[in-house]
Amino acid sequence: MSVSPGRSAGGTALADRSPSPEAAPPLSISGLRKSFPGRTVLAGLDLRITAGRLVAVLGANGSGKSTALRCVVGLERPDGGSIRLHGEEIVGLSGRELARRRSRAAMIFQKIHLVQRRGVLDNVCAGALGRLPLRRSLTPALFPRELREEAMECLRRVGLADRAGDVVGRLSGGQQQRVAIARALCQRADIVLADEPVAALDPAAAAQVLELLSELAREQGLAVAAVLHQPELARRYADRVVGLARGRLAFDTSPGHLSDRDLDDLYATGEAAP
Amino acid sequence: MTTGTRVPAASGRRSPSAAGAAVVTVLVVLHVLAWQGTGFSPADLVRGWRGMADFAGEAIPPDLSWPVLGAGIRAALVTLYIGLLGTTFSVPFALVLAVLGARTTAPNRWVYQAARSLLSFLRAVPDVVFALIFVTAVGLGPFAGVLALIFHNTGVMGKLWSEAMEEIDLGPRDALRTNGANGVQVVAHAILPAVVPQFVGLLLYRFDVNVRSSLVLGLVGAGGIGFLVNQSIKLFRFDQMATHLLIVLVLVVGVDLLSAAVRRRVAV
Repeated sequence: MSVSPGRSAGGTALADRSPSPEAAPPLSISGLRKSFPGRTVLAGLDLRITAGRLVAVLGANGSGKSTALRCVVGLERPDGGSIRLHGEEIVGLSGRELARRRSRAAMIFQKIHLVQRRGVLDNVCAGALGRLPLRRSLTPALFPRELREEAMECLRRVGLADRAGDVVGRLSGGQQQRVAIARALCQRADIVLADEPVAALDPAAAAQVLELLSELAREQGLAVAAVLHQPELARRYADRVVGLARGRLAFDTSPGHLSDRDLDDLYATGEAAP
Repeated sequence: MTTGTRVPAASGRRSPSAAGAAVVTVLVVLHVLAWQGTGFSPADLVRGWRGMADFAGEAIPPDLSWPVLGAGIRAALVTLYIGLLGTTFSVPFALVLAVLGARTTAPNRWVYQAARSLLSFLRAVPDVVFALIFVTAVGLGPFAGVLALIFHNTGVMGKLWSEAMEEIDLGPRDALRTNGANGVQVVAHAILPAVVPQFVGLLLYRFDVNVRSSLVLGLVGAGGIGFLVNQSIKLFRFDQMATHLLIVLVLVVGVDLLSAAVRRRVAV
């Protein structure tokens, strides 16, 4: 089950650019390292996620799950290693080129992070900000009509077309998380990274959100990675389960093969490290 | 003062009563110095009561004849206009400086420091001083008052707004950054929508303050009813002055009620 740290792969990532990016996996992380003052969070993580699959990411607190996702979307700057989106390296890049390559990955947050005082449709449209010129995006009133139609389509996909005109603050937590997923769709992301997307939701809403994510993976070919706290949810909804411990990949298996032993080891190592 | 209540630590064993006595002594000395420095003298006030009584006798009853009242109301409108334009025209400048001078939205540390310094400067120079400067440029009159308020209010409102922006939840900002929005888009779609109620509340509060400031600006020649108050004192027409002060009272209370009512509405 153990996977080699793959540091050599990370070192040559820039040189050996894949000739046809379409053949490359949507997200490929190798040898990723990240430390915060006083502790190492990622110690050479290797992880690939594939199109059309929902990958559940398990691990104890502090195992580096969230940090890994945050490095991919640019909320943390990795110390080293390689992150490739569709074969294109993004570690070490900056500015427009980085923003362009990264726009294919969207993040879903535990705390949802929609703009509470804006309407549902405006929040979904905001997913497209990265590709809109300033003169069409300074206020929601300037959003092009095609964008509104596309955003409506995204809302329909998550089953909330009838709430398009509501203010976000009026929706339940589960509905808000689905609006956040619609925002990711409106971003035209084909990689969706969800950081504990259902940790703050009741079981019914959690099931709805995970079902939606796995449908989007299967039907629209998105590559989805979801950090989950409950192994049962992983067994039920994921196509693949990976475990992180101490900033490295601990196992990578199918839900059917996920043994209690794997899980005990995973959470035990987590507890050993304070 | 807190040393008195703190559990005695390794640092010196000064008893609480000694520290307290030292603080009280310093405060008493300061107040004695201030008493002398300001020529504070209740005896003078008692001796001069006759002057005040004469003054009040002349001021009451106020001169409510139409020429005086009409001129007062027209001037009060000018005062209101000075406050209004001074507040409104400072909005774009205050907004830009607030965004650049808030830790959550500043593009980098240098811009942040520069914006903060400019805001501090505009705040530190009183509006009356700005008015005196602009009177030399554009002459006596309300325009100088408007300019003075724009400058001073930009400093105060920019600071208040930037603090409001530093207190919001940064989640939506991070979320929009990850989907590729640039700095201006993040401010327009994540930061500003979250602070609109606070911004409007602070804006109305500043309008309230600015109308009152524009009265004082009138005293230094920037037009409005403050100018009439000053003039009637100089002409010893205390009955007219009383009329103008009554109009000021109505104006200030009216603006205060209005801004309080709107703020209650927006706060929801």
